Amino acid sequence: MSVSLRQSMAWIHGWLGLLAGWLLFAMFLTGTASYFRPEITRWMQPESRVPAVSTERAAATAIAYLQRTGADDLQWYVFLPDARRPTTEIFPVPKPDAAKTASRPDEIELDPATGRPVTARETRGGEQFYRFHFQLQLPHPWGRWLAGLCAMFMLGTILSGVITHKRIFADFFTLRWNKGQRSWLDAHNVSAVLALPYHAMITYTGLITLVTMYMPWPILANYKQPAEFAQIAFSQPADRAATGKRVGLTPIAPLIADAGHRLGAPVSRIIVHHPNDQAATITLAQGTGTTINARGPSVTYDGATGRWLEQSGTGSTALATAGVMLGLHLAQYAGPALRWAYFAMGLTGVAMVGTGLLLWTAKRRRPGAAPFFGLRLVERLNIAVIVGLPIGMASYLLANRLIPAMQPGRADAEVATMFWAWGLVALVQLVRPARRAWREGFALAALVFTAIPLADALTTTRGLPGSLLGGDTLFAAFDLAMLAIAALFAFAAWRTGRVPAPRRRRAAPSAPSLSETLHA
Amino acid sequence: MFMERGHPAPSPSPARRHVRPIVWAMAARSVTALVGGYAAAAVLATLAARLLPVDRVEATGWAMILSFLTYAAIGLWCFHEPRLARVAGFVWGVALLGGAALWWLGVRP
Repeated sequence: MSVSLRQSMAWIHGWLGLLAGWLLFAMFLTGTASYFRPEITRWMQPESRVPAVSTERAAATAIAYLQRTGADDLQWYVFLPDARRPTTEIFPVPKPDAAKTASRPDEIELDPATGRPVTARETRGGEQFYRFHFQLQLPHPWGRWLAGLCAMFMLGTILSGVITHKRIFADFFTLRWNKGQRSWLDAHNVSAVLALPYHAMITYTGLITLVTMYMPWPILANYKQPAEFAQIAFSQPADRAATGKRVGLTPIAPLIADAGHRLGAPVSRIIVHHPNDQAATITLAQGTGTTINARGPSVTYDGATGRWLEQSGTGSTALATAGVMLGLHLAQYAGPALRWAYFAMGLTGVAMVGTGLLLWTAKRRRPGAAPFFGLRLVERLNIAVIVGLPIGMASYLLANRLIPAMQPGRADAEVATMFWAWGLVALVQLVRPARRAWREGFALAALVFTAIPLADALTTTRGLPGSLLGGDTLFAAFDLAMLAIAALFAFAAWRTGRVPAPRRRRAAPSAPSLSETLHA
Repeated sequence: MFMERGHPAPSPSPARRHVRPIVWAMAARSVTALVGGYAAAAVLATLAARLLPVDRVEATGWAMILSFLTYAAIGLWCFHEPRLARVAGFVWGVALLGGAALWWLGVRP
């Protein structure tokens, strides 16, 4: 018995999409939000307003702070401010045998002008959505494996979906409203086909971001020391053992200027190994915002003398390809216009997965027949995720404004709010009839998103009217985006309340047309 | 064997008795696609990385980049080919034989 390729691919497309659909929806939505990761963090710390300074000055103040607080550390990582992130971020790594300095956190935000820690409300900011996008709030490494599995399902779904299609070009222009199952199919096709290159790109490059974790075996076949490959791939300088002889660190500012010339782009990252040791090295790397390749080259200097040691970048086409794929996924190279385009395409991904999930139920619902268990399960999970997750995300942002700014443990409380809100919506909807649950869920989402700019105006000095008049672009854009999303949910609530009457009338006499195969 | 699609609500009938073998066959097929497919793709990528006569950085990098495409293709084929024995034989065969070859080849000198 032979099955046509198109038939078998249609079958597997449905199952792959269904099994991974809810997690993929969450990954698409949080990933899309993560295109504005630094902006979300800035909005969530409204009291933090730090002035822009030169790269050299930011580097000097950061190193001075590290010399005061961790002169004997093993390594220092410094991320210098750029156009989107106004603060310096430092990650000091103590020596393994060092006595734990109690009060110092692993990650510290500095004011680049003064080199003092920034005093703003404690929050995970945009980092929460970004981490959830590929770790799914699960312990390491399970979240990453699960996200990778979902990405593989997505890849399989895209490939089988393309094979299944007879008329990929015609689907560009086909959208039939108010036709029940047909409309969901058309919406699924339009959102999937229009942005198909984006979906394929973002799925494959997503797998590439963690390729050394998912597929490390080729490295083991070619390198006795796998670290050797990592060193080449991630542009790390050759390791130098500490001598134990104390020699002060050379001033950083001249190196920043020199590296800027050598790399042809401003430096954005400083890595100091064995600070204040004779064998200290200072590695300066190019910013990810300047080229598509997210693994830009770096220059390494002797930390004691300031002498140039080496410049990374092997000229390997494979590694350059992987770097560009990584850059395409992270989109840090993108300017404002391209970033909004990424955001819009990410939303088509959300729509593609969402309509696909709805299509699964629309295709199996028979007028007049009681829904079978699987159909009810899928429908309830659809509501829990498609309605629940946006409400959870909105609650996270709202909690940022409602939890007192100085309350200890508030960052964790914000995250907890996101999942409590999501979980509550997922549970409470179970006691409502499905269509009502959709409608009330959308309405609730509209309310919560509307509440965000209101809470912002009431609890901070950077509310919407003020930010619009004062030219505070980031805050104005953020609050307006929240209102736009709220309007979208209000529209969805209105539509779900309106649709059933004409649909039932039309569907009843032409029942056979509903069982028409999807891909005929 | 999976022509029954499109009828997700089986009526309680004598057909129920035949469900079990179908479920087992589908479970075996899924495990083969998911686990065996990964093993086969990993082995093929590693063999390519080990044997391609180019610089080891290039061979390693390209093999890793393209491995997911191989995995996806193998996984989809597992659900296209109707004969389960053929699916299992090919996928696990590639994984085991290729794995043995890699063990025999050892790390690139």
